Amino acid sequence: MHETMTQATSTNAELATHLLAENSSPPPIEITDLRLVRGSRTVLNGLSIKVSRGEIYALLGGNGAGKSTTLSAILGFLEPDSGVIRVGGFDPVLEPDRARTQVAYLPENVALYDQLSAYENIAYFLALSGREPGRSEMDGALDAAGLQHEARERRVAGYSKGMRQKVAIAMAVLRDVPVLLLDEPTSGLDPRATADFNALLNVLKARGTAILMVTHDLLGAADCADRIGFLAQGSIVDEVRPSEGIDVLALHHRYGERTAA
Amino acid sequence: MMMLWGHELRLFLRQRIAVPALLLMLALSCASVWAGLAEVARQREVIERIQPKQAKDEAAIAAWVAKEGDVGNAAYYTFHATWDSPSSLAFAALGQRDIAPFVLRVRALPLESQINESENYNAELALPGRFDWAFVLTYLAPLLLIALLHDLFSAEREAGRAVLLGVMARSTRALWLRRIVLRAGLLLLALLVPFIVGAVIAGSTAAMTAIVAGIAAAYFLFWIALCLLIARMKLASLANAASLAMIWLAITLVLPGLALLAVNQAIPVQQGVELTLAQREAVHAGWDKPKAATMQAFVRDHPEWKDKATFTGGFHWKWYHAFHYLGDRAVGEQVKAYRTGLEARDAWTRKAGLVLPPVGVQVVIHRLARTDLAAQLAYQDRIRTFHAALRRFYYPYIFNETPFRTEDFAKAPRWPAQKTGQLATASQERK
Repeated sequence: MHETMTQATSTNAELATHLLAENSSPPPIEITDLRLVRGSRTVLNGLSIKVSRGEIYALLGGNGAGKSTTLSAILGFLEPDSGVIRVGGFDPVLEPDRARTQVAYLPENVALYDQLSAYENIAYFLALSGREPGRSEMDGALDAAGLQHEARERRVAGYSKGMRQKVAIAMAVLRDVPVLLLDEPTSGLDPRATADFNALLNVLKARGTAILMVTHDLLGAADCADRIGFLAQGSIVDEVRPSEGIDVLALHHRYGERTAA
Repeated sequence: MMMLWGHELRLFLRQRIAVPALLLMLALSCASVWAGLAEVARQREVIERIQPKQAKDEAAIAAWVAKEGDVGNAAYYTFHATWDSPSSLAFAALGQRDIAPFVLRVRALPLESQINESENYNAELALPGRFDWAFVLTYLAPLLLIALLHDLFSAEREAGRAVLLGVMARSTRALWLRRIVLRAGLLLLALLVPFIVGAVIAGSTAAMTAIVAGIAAAYFLFWIALCLLIARMKLASLANAASLAMIWLAITLVLPGLALLAVNQAIPVQQGVELTLAQREAVHAGWDKPKAATMQAFVRDHPEWKDKATFTGGFHWKWYHAFHYLGDRAVGEQVKAYRTGLEARDAWTRKAGLVLPPVGVQVVIHRLARTDLAAQLAYQDRIRTFHAALRRFYYPYIFNETPFRTEDFAKAPRWPAQKTGQLATASQERK
């Protein structure tokens, strides 16, 4: 009895320490007052976003609003003129290799190696990041992404855009990193696959992954995001929480108003 | 780590161009090594064949000469075989052996016309010559390397995978390095394996084989560096390929060609056939010169025969050999200038090799294989030494008017069977 109590006390203490550490650790994605100028154009102008563990943040904006630039800056491919970016606590410009170990990325147009199968593509890309998933692990991720079994051994040369996207989603799932960046993630997916995808995002969210997606799809964002940031002229002009009960029509109206301003 | 190499290998081998490029490299290398070994075997066979034929020829002349014992006839009609055996690396770089004689039968008559029957020029700078392994390394391997490396980065960019690779790779530097090593390494292997097999068959030493392999690897590094330099410009794959092809054309063909023209222009060298003609004219003029003056000039160089330089009658072998000797001496300065010119051109070729790696690689490999101009001139030097020994052998018979018997043929200097440069001159000191 005494032993059981001691164990329980110890477990509670560990949990408390863990929660304390989680609360005190920096948010997985933290962008503060980011400014990025390309030529004569200021693409990002004082952008600030924080995405916490287990949160889905949708960044909405029109063409040229700076959505993809934001992702490139988070990935360390673009150096900001001023401001701070932290990914899992690392500066992607100063410590790109360490920052990238924290990130999984799903591009809008997923380009894989046509001469490899889905399994081989996943094995290759994950090997690059130092992981070696087994076949059952890959099947689990591909099941979650919704790629049919019979396609998995086939070379991806004949895959549709949606199928490629599913392979990339499986890769992102298997990476098991604290940050997931999504660029127009549902653009190639049919409604059913989109629903599956949203369900998958919720699984990742429950796992504690911080998810930042850039999208045009207001409806899709409202379906799955905890927060939606409206990006216009390089900064967040408004932020809404779909959980607060804003209806889609009102959201459309608000988005139109804010981004046109 | 090995897992990553395995993945990269699979990825590379499944590319459309990879296996055909590697097989082509292997086939070219095999063919060139085979052709080189066959040519060297042919040359060895000629060298071996000439020796019994030489003995047969000599026996026939001996049978005829012995009747009268006339040394003049013996010296006039007896050809003495010389040869330059190929080195164990010659199969890989035939060089001058392709254009200069490796067998020369000489008589005790004037040498220069005999020795300059063929021309010498800077083979390193000559536009593509014989198909040998050095040719494949210098000219063809870079093209295949370009085919495999021109789109190393650009293909990923164009396919849209560059960002994903950048995000997924723990170290992008290690990723690209692995890919370069794999592509260039496999190509180098396809080039080197047939060469190494050829070197073993030809009996080349491990050290020499390793040096040549090292040169090939260094040459590959040069082309890899060029490919990376072009890749830094971030052009499209097609533009990369076109740029690299133009560079290849410039530094393997156009610039060496221009260098050849410039060297030939800057260092005019009389042609060997002109030397031969000049020497023949000098010899023929000897028939019309006063005999006493001819003999006087001869004994100035050969005082040991001063007391034996007189003769009676219209023709005597003493006089004949004297004016033939003087014919050689008459073109002495031209021969020296010809030689100096060839060496100067060769020196400039080596200098060109310092700035043009394809030329440099050929120069070094031909040197190692002893198939360059220096090796050819060294063979000529050995012939001159041998010819001088022949003269020293015949002159005592001619000037002492000693009958030349069958057994005397056996006393003549012999071209050394193995070690060139040393003469089997049992009787060369005889006077």
